[in-house]
Amino acid sequence: MDVTVDVVGEDTHELTVDAETTYADLVRETGWSPQEVTVLVDGTPVPEDQRVTVDHVTILRLIKGGSQRA
Amino acid sequence: MSLSLDATQLDRYSRHIIMDEIGPEGQARLLDGSVLVIGAGGLGAPVIEYLAAAGVGTIGVADDDIVERSNLQRQVIHTDENVGVPKADSAKQFVNRLNPDVTVETYETRVTPENVEELIDGYDVIVDASDNFPTRYLVNDAARLAGIPIAHGAIYKFEGQITTLVPDGPCYRCLFREAPEPGSVPDCATTGVLGVLPGTVGCIQATEAFKLLLGAGEPLEGRLLFYDAMDMTFETVPYQKDPDCPVCGDDPIDSIDHITYQDGCRVNITSEQ
Repeated sequence: MDVTVDVVGEDTHELTVDAETTYADLVRETGWSPQEVTVLVDGTPVPEDQRVTVDHVTILRLIKGGSQRA
Repeated sequence: MSLSLDATQLDRYSRHIIMDEIGPEGQARLLDGSVLVIGAGGLGAPVIEYLAAAGVGTIGVADDDIVERSNLQRQVIHTDENVGVPKADSAKQFVNRLNPDVTVETYETRVTPENVEELIDGYDVIVDASDNFPTRYLVNDAARLAGIPIAHGAIYKFEGQITTLVPDGPCYRCLFREAPEPGSVPDCATTGVLGVLPGTVGCIQATEAFKLLLGAGEPLEGRLLFYDAMDMTFETVPYQKDPDCPVCGDDPIDSIDHITYQDGCRVNITSEQ
């Protein structure tokens, strides 16, 4: 199955996956760590150990900066 | 709400008052409004500056840090003279010089599970200008339980993320269920940050706070605005309320007692039962 992976603020990737591919695998394929991102399908996060069943996902990186401390 | 603006206020806020969308009623609403700003650093500085200039009547400032010289490249309410001064006090000094209509409540403390409910109590809006995941998750959870909206912002090097978390919309956990492991996401102190970046992002947060106070416009509810300063692009990422969200989903928590705000900030459902 072909999957479009849109990394917000970065590139869009067109990947081919098999039945065993997980969302975490997709994240790694795009060069990110599952620790650093959330994977959204239709605007809702999906567990990253779940197998990919859709043809379009969005990857959003977590960032935290804002102050020095609060 | 008092609609009586004195002559000085009519002059000071005249550019608001002449607009149909704000008018004297909206300005009176701002003067009667209260916003808690969590963090008086990069994001908090422009937020505090614009809230104060516009006459938001009560601004709470929660920050346990002191002003350092390395802050001054971006934290525009603090000055060289304030180095070594608690940021909350420095923020109050700035606001006092800017607008006598504004009362500043300072909380020189870190936001913790023990004090968060008392800190946020009574505020109309919270602006999350913090810099760490435990605080962001804690504020999300406590504000949701208290029914207080949050104008959320975060920055990293040249990019920013902004969204608004209203009581009946999706919350931060609907977007990011759990925090990443400590150390897996770098901070500004490690990677650096473009000095003007928090100005842009903080001003959008302040804009959202104004809209919430005024009850006007369309808040960034269910939308995350991604800003890339290098490309000068904005991208909107839609997201939805998650029925499985432990904080605002179909089976929500009723207190933060069973959440440990470290590591993944996970909601420990098992211990609630």
